[in-house]
Order: sequence, then structure tokens, then C-alpha cells
Amino acid sequence: MAKKPVGPQMILANCLREGRALFFGRDGAWHAEPALADVAEGDGLDALMAKARAFADANNVIDPVFIPAEQKDDHYYPAHIKHVMQAKGPSVRPDLGYQVSPDWERR
Amino acid sequence: MYAYDPYDKEIVNTRVEEFRDQVNRRLSGELTEEEFRPLRLMNGLYLQLHAYMLRVAIPYGTLSSVQMRRLALIARKYDKGYGHFTTRQNIQYNWPKLVDTPDILLDLADVEMHAIQTSGNCIRNVTTDQFSGATADEIADPRPYAELIRQWSTFHPEFSFLPRKFKIAITGAPSDRAAVKWHDIGLVVRKNDAGDIGFEVLVGGGMGRTPVIAKTIRDFIPEADLLGYLEAILRVYNEQGRRDNKYKARIKILVEALGSDTFADLVEKEWQTTRHHPIDVPEAEIKRIEAFFAPPPLEVLPEQDPAVDELAANNFLFHAFLKNNVRPHKVPGHVNVTISLKPHGGIPGDATDAQMDLVADLADTYSLGEIRVSHEQNLILPHVARRDLPELYEALSRSGLGTANVGLISDIIACPGLDYCALANARSIPIAQNLAKRFDDITRLQDIGELKVKISGCINSCGHHHAGHIGILGVDRKGEEVYQLLLGGSGAEDASKAQILGPGFDENGIVDAVETVVAVYLGERQDGEKFLETYRRIGADPFKEAVYEAH
Ligand code: SF4
Repeated sequence: MAKKPVGPQMILANCLREGRALFFGRDGAWHAEPALADVAEGDGLDALMAKARAFADANNVIDPVFIPAEQKDDHYYPAHIKHVMQAKGPSVRPDLGYQVSPDWERR
Repeated sequence: MYAYDPYDKEIVNTRVEEFRDQVNRRLSGELTEEEFRPLRLMNGLYLQLHAYMLRVAIPYGTLSSVQMRRLALIARKYDKGYGHFTTRQNIQYNWPKLVDTPDILLDLADVEMHAIQTSGNCIRNVTTDQFSGATADEIADPRPYAELIRQWSTFHPEFSFLPRKFKIAITGAPSDRAAVKWHDIGLVVRKNDAGDIGFEVLVGGGMGRTPVIAKTIRDFIPEADLLGYLEAILRVYNEQGRRDNKYKARIKILVEALGSDTFADLVEKEWQTTRHHPIDVPEAEIKRIEAFFAPPPLEVLPEQDPAVDELAANNFLFHAFLKNNVRPHKVPGHVNVTISLKPHGGIPGDATDAQMDLVADLADTYSLGEIRVSHEQNLILPHVARRDLPELYEALSRSGLGTANVGLISDIIACPGLDYCALANARSIPIAQNLAKRFDDITRLQDIGELKVKISGCINSCGHHHAGHIGILGVDRKGEEVYQLLLGGSGAEDASKAQILGPGFDENGIVDAVETVVAVYLGERQDGEKFLETYRRIGADPFKEAVYEAH
């Protein structure tokens, strides 16, 4: 059995149509902004993943996985640089990706 | 250049429609992600950090201007206005939408291109010397053989599910510009005493977590037996390669485990069994393929041109361009021009749609409509009249494509790394950018001379760090990006594995460390010695002392 992740976790997945990274939100929807992500740890993880999977299937979101989260100010953000990168967009192209705006794709 | 026959056209078009159906079924929910993933990968469509990534094959790195214009159009219409040329002479698009990919593949098929076998455990795009057919030092143009291998390996039913991916490189020249010794199979065109063309066959090279330099298992295989012999190698590998552990599944592990002599014996045995039923490529088909690669119809021109000489005497940057980016063609009065995709501070290998269009136009005007992609992530106009260089240089410079750094320390190979790649541990591109900025002065660059820096964002080694004179490998240390420094690698005919110098550095420290390495070289070099020669003469210790003393 896979080891349960330790510490606060959020759920990251990709949008089927565009491939963009999405976070499972406290409102049960998928968001480009990590600050809206729901966070759980320990015994709460299974329930969060079950909820996310149900919403993933319904919303064409693929491969939901736990990623470590850390708290900054009032919100949680991805802790690992890889997921920070996914949340923002490529560091070498600040003109591209969610760092421009959450709905950058649609502009 | 090769042109599809009706059979090529049909298989590529059929594949596009098949994929369109698969995408539709995925979007409708009929296919699950698990079912769909292998299907999209078979069509070169990966899922990366920010979006899908489509890898398009550029067979043996040769493109027509029409194809280049189409690549530009795809970048503009379906992507974010740029593409990334890779160390496998391919192009990757970083932002395609799933729903658009069948249309992209249709647009590619229209210009005889595709993304088939750019992923998965199959025989990938065959790579070769970017100057093939345009260089005086080659025994024969390797592209007809590369094309033959492409046809043989495309959808080869026996080799579609190998233990692991499989890469073949071929060079027609003794100067190896295709890194053949770093491939699963490396082929070097040779002539025997009777003057017949054949190939030296090397097997078991590769980078990744276990870098191995390929070993020769046959000094000479005649031209006519090439496919039969390749088939024997693949068959032995397919049967005996490990499938239980993907890190031990490449042919290099099998060859190391058996020993290259035993592996060669097995191949020989297999080949002797099957060679009585040879893969008969009809003579007419060989002739048909060869005709596409006939020597270009170039007029012999004077080797010197007064206008070129005058501009070189008065314009320092053009002089540097001439020295670094231009090399002789096999037809007197002509040259191969390398267009650097490494502007200082830019992203190695990236080109905008406008730049791709421009290169296509320049190819039409100055290079018989032909373009090459090198594994060093640059573009080449292979057939340029020397007298056209001033005009060409002017046009390139105006569009940010005139950087005169080919083969120098800022002509850095860098993989996409953590800025794009889902497998990455660390970013590669910013390191390349910072290094290029640190060594921004062209006089200093030229004084340092040939120095190949290669950067990978993880141990998969797409940035060829094992073969770098200076190699840099990004690793993840508890969530921090750390960079290991390696010295002494080579991807050329004198192939060698770079060795790790010592503990790693952070993002800034690695740039300082490279500068220290260069300073040691400049202090130690003897007359006319290149970096690699000095390193091989004095060894790693002086570099190690200086680098770690400074930290
Ligand atoms: S070397 Fe690693 S980080 Fe770089 S492109 Fe290859 S898999 Fe990605």
C-alpha cells in the first residue's frame, strides 16, 4: 500500500482539454489559483481525495494527486518548487501561464 | 529532400484520423485516461507541468522551407507563438490543447510530417549530422540510409513494444557531429579496401542514470546488409533486454551485462540465421530514395569574395559570425551557416513563429529551400553561396538570429527542465541564461574558444550533460534545486563521460563555479589547446581545488 503523505496536502490535477494544472478547491470546484485549494492531512486525506475524484470525473479533470502544502499568510500554497511552477507558469516566460492571471488561457 | 510516396501518405493520414477518433472518444468519456494515455503517447502527445506537449519528428533533422513555415503556422495558430528545437533534432510545442491536436497532426501530414514514434518504447526518430550532404569530410551522405531506417522502423510490428525506447544515430563523416557513440545503435559510414560503402556498428551507448559509451560490435557491415543486421540487433535486445525494471531496460544494460563480445556473437548468430531470408529492399526503391538526396545543383564559385572580406575587416561581429557560425561546403564557394538559437539571455532551442518564417524565407533565398536542425539545438542553412553572407547576416541579425557563438561557451544545450518538464528536478534554462549573460562578451568567448556546456534538469539527461566538456545536472535536494558540475565529457568521435567534480551548487554558485573552471583552463592552457585538451592533460584536480577553495 502506498504510504500516506505526511503534513498538509492539497490536490493537484490537470484539465483534460487544455492540460493546465488545477487545484481542488474548498468549494468543490477546480481552480487555477492554489489559494482556493482545500487542504487536509492525516485521516482527512481519503475523504478529500474521494470528493476530488468524484468532481474530477464529472469535470474532465485527470490524474488528481496529493501535493505538499505550506501556509503563508492566510492561505496554503504548494510547498515544492515543481508545484509552485505549475501554479505560476514557466519562470523563464513570465508572459505565459497562470502567473499572468488565473484566467490567462481565456483572455 | 525525401518526398512521401502514396504509401507514406496513406499511413500518416490514416493515423491522423485514427487519433481524431481516439481524442473524440476520450473527450466524450468513452475512453478512460488509462486507456487513452498510451494512445496519445504513440502520437507524441505528453502531459507536462503546464499543458500538453506535442513532440513532432523532424526526420534526421532535415526540413524544407515549406515544412518550417508550417511549423511556424502551428506555433501561431495552436500554440503560444514559439516552438522548442530539441537535442533529438525534433520540435516540441508546449501549449497545444487536446482538442486541437488532431488538426495539428493533419496540418503536419499535409507537409509530410508527423509525431509518430516520438514517444514510447519503439525506435525513435533517426538522428544524423546536421551537415550531411553538404560537408567535404563525409564518405557518403547518411540521409538515404537514415530514410531507409525510418521506413523500416516506422510501425515495425516486432519492434513497437521494445523493453525501452531505442535511438539510432548515423554519421557519414569521421568527425562525429551526431554523438553516435551515445546512442543505442551508432552507425558510422565506412569504406572498405575494395571501396565499397558499409557501416561500423556501435551498440549500447546511452546517457540517463547509467552513462555508457557504445562499443563497436562490427567494423564493417555492407550497405546491402544494413537492415538485416539492425534487425538482428533489435531481435536480440527485444528477446533478452530486461522488462522487469525500467532503469535497467535499455540495450546498454544488456550489452554491459553480457559483455559486448558475447552480445556481438548473439547478433551474429541471429543474423546468420536470418540473412538467408534477407530484407530485400528493391534496388529501385533504394535508387528512388537516393535520388531525393542527390548532391545539390550548386555552381562552383570563387572561395573568396571581396565584399565578404571587406565586411569582415570592418565589422567585428560579422567577423565573429564568419569564424564561428560558417563552415565550408563541399562545393567550393559555398558554406554551411549555423543559425544560433542561443541568443544571450534567451531560451536555448526556442524559436518564435516569426523567426521560423524568416528562416524559411532565407532558406528559399539562399539555401535551396533547405534547413537542418542540429542536436545542439541550432538551425542550419546548409547550401549558402559565400558571396551572400553579408546579406544573410544582416537579415539574421535584424531578427535576433545573428548571435556569433556557435561552438563557444554560450552555445549551451539545455533541456526544458523544471520550467516545463514533469520529470524534472531542477530548472535548466535559467542556468543557461545566466551563464550566457556571464560570458556575454564576444571577445572573451572567442578567447576561451570551443567549449561545450550541456545542462539537464534531471538524470534522464536530455541535455546531454554526460557528454558536456562542462556538464551540469540539476538535482532536487529536499525541495531545493542543486546543480552538480561535471567536467571532461565529449559527444564527438573522441567520446568520453564527464565526471562529477564534487558537491553541488545553488543557482548562483554553479555560474561562479563554471567561471572558476574557465579561469583555471585559461591559466593552464598551452598554445592552441582547447578546453577539453587541457582538461585531459592536467586532469580534474586543479579544477577541483580552485572551485572548492573558492567556496
Ligand atoms: S533531462 Fe529530465 S528535466 Fe530535462 S527534459 Fe529530460 S526528463 Fe525533462
